Amino acid sequence: MEEQDQNIKLPFFGITRIFPYVKRYRWIMLLMIVLGCLSSLIDSAYPLFNKYALDHFIGENTLSGLAGFILLYVGILLFQVADNFVAAYLCGKVEMSVDRDLRNAAFNHLQTLSFSYFNQNNVGYIHARVMSDTGKIGVLCAWRMMDIVWHGSYIICVFIMMLTVRVSLALMILALVPLAVIFILFFQKKLVVLNRRVREINSRITGNFNEGITGARSIKTLVVEDRIQSDFEKDTEDMRVTSVRTGRTRALFTSTVTMMSAFALAIVLWQGGQLTAERLMLIGSLSVFLSYTLYLIEPIQFLIQTISALIEIQVNIERLTRLLNTESDVADSPEIVEKYGDTFRPKRENWEKLFGDVEFEDVSFRYPDGEELVLEHFSLKVPQGTNVAIVGETGAGKSTLVNLVCRFFEPTEGRVLIDGRDARERSQLWLHSHIGYVLQTPHLFSGTVRDNLRYGKPDATDEEIREALRLVSADGVVDKMDKGLDSDVGEGGDLLSTGEKQLLSFARALLADPRILVLDEATSSIDTVTERAIQEAIQTVIRGRTSFVIAHRLSTIVDADVILVVQDGKIIEQGTHRELMKKKGAYYELYTRQYEEMIVNLS
Amino acid sequence: MEQNRETEKKKYTARDRTRILLYLLSGSKRFFALGVVCSMLVSLFNLLNPRIIGYTVDYVLEDTAGGATGPLQEILAFFGGASFLRSNLFVIALLVTAVALFSALFRFLLQFFLAIGVEKFLKRTRDRVFSHILRLPFSWHSENHTGDIIQRCTSDVETIRNFLSEQMISLFRISILIVFALFFMISIHPMLTLAAAAFVPVIIGYSLFFHNRIGSQFLRADEEEGRLSAIAQENLTGVRVVRAFGREVYERERFEKQNSGYTKLWIRIMMLLSAFWASGDLISNLQLLTVMVFGSVLAVQGQLSAGAYISFVFYNSLLSWPVRELGRIISDMSKAGVSIDRIAYILDSEPEKDEEDAAQPELTGDITFSHVTYHYENAPTAPGVLEDVSFTVKAGTTVGILGATGSGKSTLMYLLDRLYDLPEGGGTISIGGTDIRRIRREHLRRNIGMVLQEPFLFSRTLEENIAITGRTEDKKLIRKRVREAAGIASLDHAVARFASGYETRVGERGVTLSGGQKQRTAIAQMLLKDAPIMVFDDSLSAVDAQTDMKIRKALRERIAGATVILIAHRITTLMQADRIIVLDKGRVAEEGTHDELLAMGGIYRRIYDLQLAQDEE
Repeated sequence: MEEQDQNIKLPFFGITRIFPYVKRYRWIMLLMIVLGCLSSLIDSAYPLFNKYALDHFIGENTLSGLAGFILLYVGILLFQVADNFVAAYLCGKVEMSVDRDLRNAAFNHLQTLSFSYFNQNNVGYIHARVMSDTGKIGVLCAWRMMDIVWHGSYIICVFIMMLTVRVSLALMILALVPLAVIFILFFQKKLVVLNRRVREINSRITGNFNEGITGARSIKTLVVEDRIQSDFEKDTEDMRVTSVRTGRTRALFTSTVTMMSAFALAIVLWQGGQLTAERLMLIGSLSVFLSYTLYLIEPIQFLIQTISALIEIQVNIERLTRLLNTESDVADSPEIVEKYGDTFRPKRENWEKLFGDVEFEDVSFRYPDGEELVLEHFSLKVPQGTNVAIVGETGAGKSTLVNLVCRFFEPTEGRVLIDGRDARERSQLWLHSHIGYVLQTPHLFSGTVRDNLRYGKPDATDEEIREALRLVSADGVVDKMDKGLDSDVGEGGDLLSTGEKQLLSFARALLADPRILVLDEATSSIDTVTERAIQEAIQTVIRGRTSFVIAHRLSTIVDADVILVVQDGKIIEQGTHRELMKKKGAYYELYTRQYEEMIVNLS
Repeated sequence: MEQNRETEKKKYTARDRTRILLYLLSGSKRFFALGVVCSMLVSLFNLLNPRIIGYTVDYVLEDTAGGATGPLQEILAFFGGASFLRSNLFVIALLVTAVALFSALFRFLLQFFLAIGVEKFLKRTRDRVFSHILRLPFSWHSENHTGDIIQRCTSDVETIRNFLSEQMISLFRISILIVFALFFMISIHPMLTLAAAAFVPVIIGYSLFFHNRIGSQFLRADEEEGRLSAIAQENLTGVRVVRAFGREVYERERFEKQNSGYTKLWIRIMMLLSAFWASGDLISNLQLLTVMVFGSVLAVQGQLSAGAYISFVFYNSLLSWPVRELGRIISDMSKAGVSIDRIAYILDSEPEKDEEDAAQPELTGDITFSHVTYHYENAPTAPGVLEDVSFTVKAGTTVGILGATGSGKSTLMYLLDRLYDLPEGGGTISIGGTDIRRIRREHLRRNIGMVLQEPFLFSRTLEENIAITGRTEDKKLIRKRVREAAGIASLDHAVARFASGYETRVGERGVTLSGGQKQRTAIAQMLLKDAPIMVFDDSLSAVDAQTDMKIRKALRERIAGATVILIAHRITTLMQADRIIVLDKGRVAEEGTHDELLAMGGIYRRIYDLQLAQDEE
């Protein structure tokens, strides 16, 4: 996907797409443009002072008007310094503000997107949109724009000045400009391609470092150090060759540019010198031309670099605006938002109590990125307080039902009813606020144990927290930590083991006191004794709540009110343990196989 | 971590830094030397043209300076004399172009040599650092944070690169430029030079002061950005938790608060920077004014010709920017020292090293753990402690190990594979009677096929991952063996569902596999190692019971004759082992066959009952 994005072409480099986000700053930006033009005008006027000094003081051998000369110079200088200060400060302010607004917009929009978006785009990709695209666009709106203003207006001012001093000489220099532009464009194009390659190899090398470090244990146990290293050296060699080629091209570029400037200088010296020798032009005018010529090529070069930066940035604009324009697959209708509020402005006063009756009514479902229907005309009543177990092989699609109950996805056809009403008739936040959820791979946020446990119930007291911990036998985990509830869990809970993280995330779910509880293979890597403790806690906790348990160890779910057996994404059997055993179908086979294996060795 | 900080505290002297730098510069020094020579020539040629222009004005265009004297006269004569030049100014134009051509040529060579030197240096540095990291002991890896090491390998290397190719060379180039320019300027007018040069220390000092001050602000901004980035990262990885608890508002507030704090900090920095730039403009332009006014006065007094004035102003303006840059460069250079230290820390860490007379025996005998004792002090990050653990795994048999989280199972296996080394007096582990500390690490590890609980996949195709240990180049044979191993590990069905099959790219920049798929890939990978000893460290935990059984059945047929250590939580996984060890808090609590342990009525029995209880109903 990244490869394709590289060659994107948008009208006006896609700048129009970010207008809505910079509209707030349009007056500041206009002021910046005016200040930028003024500053360039003054820059182009400085050589005139030198001309005056040469022609008047030195040429006429007098110091009359020196005081006025100094005063004027200092006056203009002070004005320009103030002008530059304000322009640069505003520029930085606009850059950072646009940056901030875009980051907020992207982040907040992400909070409303449905899970299909997160399934289709990996975290690194989305993160780069929020953190790095926004920064690049901020730079574009401020510094890139000002680069064009500064250098563009400088070039124009210089030509006007040159034309007023000596038309013929000015036209001669002007004629050289297209030549310079062609040269610069040629090199710039080459460099863009080379730089892109260097960046690609560079990210490969960083990836290699990452692999060599995070994979240290595997590399050692597999004894593949030599192979990993020789592959790494291939990449660094590739990098060396490409970088040297880039360096050579760049060297050729800068020396050509210097040459061109010197060439223009020589022409001025030759033609202008002739005019001066013939007394058609004053020495001062010659010096003005010389300094204009010397400093003309740089702004042209900058201008072209800015334009190539604009071309590069299209990709970022496209990616970010695509994110901002992505519509959620699961969205509340305007009437629902009107009544219940949206994600960020919930109207809790209008929320009904949730009892926990769940009903699938003739539901058919296909994942947005899938082709096959994984549910077809599925109906199931789950009265309040029912315990539903979902079993099946790894990757069989056991999460589908849970995704529908939580309204992470919506049915393709049919309805999911919560307390007898279509889930779509209430807001997502209303539903989510009543659901407790424990994941197979537990996720904690950096911060203290208390912060994490309060995630589902911000006003929980320490007593409540301890009670929840005790219920899931996680009090031991916290007691072991040196600061108790105030202990830091590390980034993403890194300081805890997977089992401990699971216990804490379980306590977190309980604390939220949800009407519907979802346990997604939550017990897979806790040892048997701890797991048993949790099982007991679950039994107490799910009493009175509607619960969905995804498990792959059948012994843990025989008491469930309904067991659903999933195979290849479809529900092939449903019933209680007894019913399913009697049926002698897939469940029976799954169960007896697990059971027999134990019995074999008993005899 | 503590230990880490201790090591980090080691002070590197300037000599140490030079030693490291010279070590890394081996092979690229001469290119830097050539670059230095070229940069001198560039400065020299750059400074010739203003002088030529000045002379042209004085002696060719006007005759106010009263004719040339000395060597200058001869040079003029060489070009045909002043009056000839006056009517044929193109000769001077050609001369200017020729000088510029040389200047451009040396500028090209300077950059080219630098590119060669720098890239050679970078390759050497990256290769050395990476190779060293691969060979550092595992304890080093667990004591140091991944992010920190990667930063050392990437941005610190980049800092040193800038130091060498930008700062050092610029410092040299600008110093040369200042010296040469001052020389030319003095030759024009010493007093005027003094007036112009008086500003130089002021500009450098001011810029140095500012950059040192703002450095801490940049650091703070970096930290704040890191925090903001972490909030976004956690929100994205935890999106399910955020949604399921309906905490979008909280997340939004958290992000926006950090975001606006970070933005405010940057706007403050921008204010400082703008003030710095603007005042820099002020000082530079005042300097130009001083030269202009003072020069005019001198010219009116007859001490300076028009051409000399033009040359002088030229020189002065050539110096203006480089001098302003100097302060920033010097202040940036101080950062390089820290970066060299940070890389030296990696290169100076002691890699794994075998004893001179380390043996490479056949590793087909019994594995004996004898009084193995291991504490946190030995490796603060090891997953558990061990107290006087003794047992034997008879050659060709399977031993199962059961134990709660943190009971020391994994540590035991890390010790066997010498990821950690047993300290003296901490008991011994031997294979076929040879203490493993006397066996070459590479040999030992090659002969132990270890499947980890959380296996790591390399950013390659599935086939390359599975075949990574294979030492054959025969593509057909590899294909055949990979498919066979994948079949045994029950991975084949999963692979069949991928569009590109075994060519599917996995790992960081590829398809994300589920925990179970990863574990099965790791099993297939291990099978290709053909090791006489196999260790399964809870490596089927993420696979469902049915698949688990299928894999174990296929494995049993395949690995007949191998010595196997099997760590698991599931009794069903363990019960077919020839012997089972129950570890409890780092000690061997029970040992025996499945039946014996059941009869014993201890921990094993209890766990068995727990797992079986509801099945019997």
